[in-house]
Amino acid sequence: MPAAHKHSPFSLLRVSALAHNTLLELVRLKVFYFLLLFSLLVIGSSIFTVKFSFQNPLQVLKDVGLGAMSIFSWLLGLLCTASLLPKDQEDRTLYTILAKPVSRFEYLLGKLSGVFLLLTLSVLMMSVVFAGVLGLREQQEIIELTQTTPAEQLPQALETLRAAAFQANLVPGILLILLKALLCSTLTLLLSTIATSSVFTILTSVVIYLIGHVQGIAREAWLSGGGDVSSLTRVLSAAVALVFPDLQLFNVVDEIAVGTVLPMPLFLQVSSFGLFYIAVYFLLAQVVFSSREL
Amino acid sequence: MSLSAISIQNLSKVFDVPFRREPVQAVTNLSLEVPSGEVYGLLGPNGSGKSTTMKILLGLVAPTSGSTSIFGVRSTLVESREDVGFLPENPYFYKYLTGLETLLFFGKLCGLAGSTLRDKAHHLLKTVGLSDAADRRLGGYSKGMLQRIGLAQALVGDPRLLVLDEPTAGVDPAGSHDIRDLILGFKAQGITVLLCSHLLNQVQEICDRIGVMHQGALIAEGRIDDLIVVPNQTELVLENASPDLLHALAQKAVDSGARVIDERRAHADLERFFLNITRNRR
Repeated sequence: MPAAHKHSPFSLLRVSALAHNTLLELVRLKVFYFLLLFSLLVIGSSIFTVKFSFQNPLQVLKDVGLGAMSIFSWLLGLLCTASLLPKDQEDRTLYTILAKPVSRFEYLLGKLSGVFLLLTLSVLMMSVVFAGVLGLREQQEIIELTQTTPAEQLPQALETLRAAAFQANLVPGILLILLKALLCSTLTLLLSTIATSSVFTILTSVVIYLIGHVQGIAREAWLSGGGDVSSLTRVLSAAVALVFPDLQLFNVVDEIAVGTVLPMPLFLQVSSFGLFYIAVYFLLAQVVFSSREL
Repeated sequence: MSLSAISIQNLSKVFDVPFRREPVQAVTNLSLEVPSGEVYGLLGPNGSGKSTTMKILLGLVAPTSGSTSIFGVRSTLVESREDVGFLPENPYFYKYLTGLETLLFFGKLCGLAGSTLRDKAHHLLKTVGLSDAADRRLGGYSKGMLQRIGLAQALVGDPRLLVLDEPTAGVDPAGSHDIRDLILGFKAQGITVLLCSHLLNQVQEICDRIGVMHQGALIAEGRIDDLIVVPNQTELVLENASPDLLHALAQKAVDSGARVIDERRAHADLERFFLNITRNRR
């Protein structure tokens, strides 16, 4: 007769097996291919559309590229995460997995890690295409400059051009785009542990995404709009600010796109904010999921 | 005294149904013990509480009252599943994985890795007769093959207890026979088996004891031979008996006051017993 094993409460092997399998599951989804391809097309094709803009071409490329990365990484995380738990329960694979010595914490962590891996790979691919498009346009601009600019002004013009191209200061911006997508995915995971349908999860997550973008502005308007602000308004706005993440904070990416160098303390502050909400939402998801009857 | 493989004490489960005043009582004060090494059949009509009992045993559902344990470990604890292999009814696995990858995945969940896991996976594929299909994706597996890969994944963690929910559902007679032989093999290895099945002949062949559930309660339990015996009848099985001998025996029986009901072998099968016992409770 086989002997009893010694159980370890947490195993990285189990979590990584679940994460790897989730990644495999997600990259087979049609929505993944569709969104990734579409995002790469938007970023890649922007090299042609800059001709129709009066703005600096490199600036337009950066605006379009970072914007596309932000929207598509969020959408990808949202659509992939929303169906993970309902599908496993519907197919009963959840029962087979949880009938093994796998805790619900490990299961959720493995699933979320799979989504994080997918988003990281996707953002990496988008970044490569983005850098390639910027690099290509930069070369075209250099050729044009060398033909049209007088020799004595050329070094200065080239320096200005290179400052507007792909620079290291874009990297923190890309990292914040990824972090925002991870945060929204964790929120979607939390919602999917509560909801009974993927459609409800997706809709609620979209609404919270919108609230997250406007709540900072609304709060600002309420609290600094002059006149008396009741204590109830203050409490309500504080509650909204606590429950819903202020996604407007991640809009520092817009500043980065126009060439502003993001100060390290600000980058750390926004990153810590994102990581804090990821941890809180994940722990809440764990609390809900561990008491859920399957 | 050795620990019971399964111990269920005064188990009850009530489900609150949204928008309904009356909650649903799925299991009512159920108590049963399955000793180590036994093959136990849990029978009952649809909706009798078998699946809920199994889910509670596997920690998927919390009991309303009472307790369940596996080899002495409460089944609300994750470590109780170290000793369990589970095959759900109509198992669905990840279609994009091959048979081998499926076993490697579930093996990792059981804490196995490296060459130990790979050897184990190949051994199990051979045991369930799927070595030739090891590198085929499960999307192309037949129903019988899925049941067999399901059995293999249940065994990958070297469990001391196997919980099998309709292991032969939808499988053709030959495949069903193979699975029956596999279960008998597990029994020979000392693995305890909890079997839920509607195929009563198969249960009769495999199980040492059965429990019959109806409307959430255990209404009969015991050794199959004891449950299906016809108390005031005796079967005499003879080999090479001549018609004269049979006639003489029948005459002797009549002379002694007994009544010869039939000269054929009596057919008191489990299916009849099961239907009788559940119909009488309606």
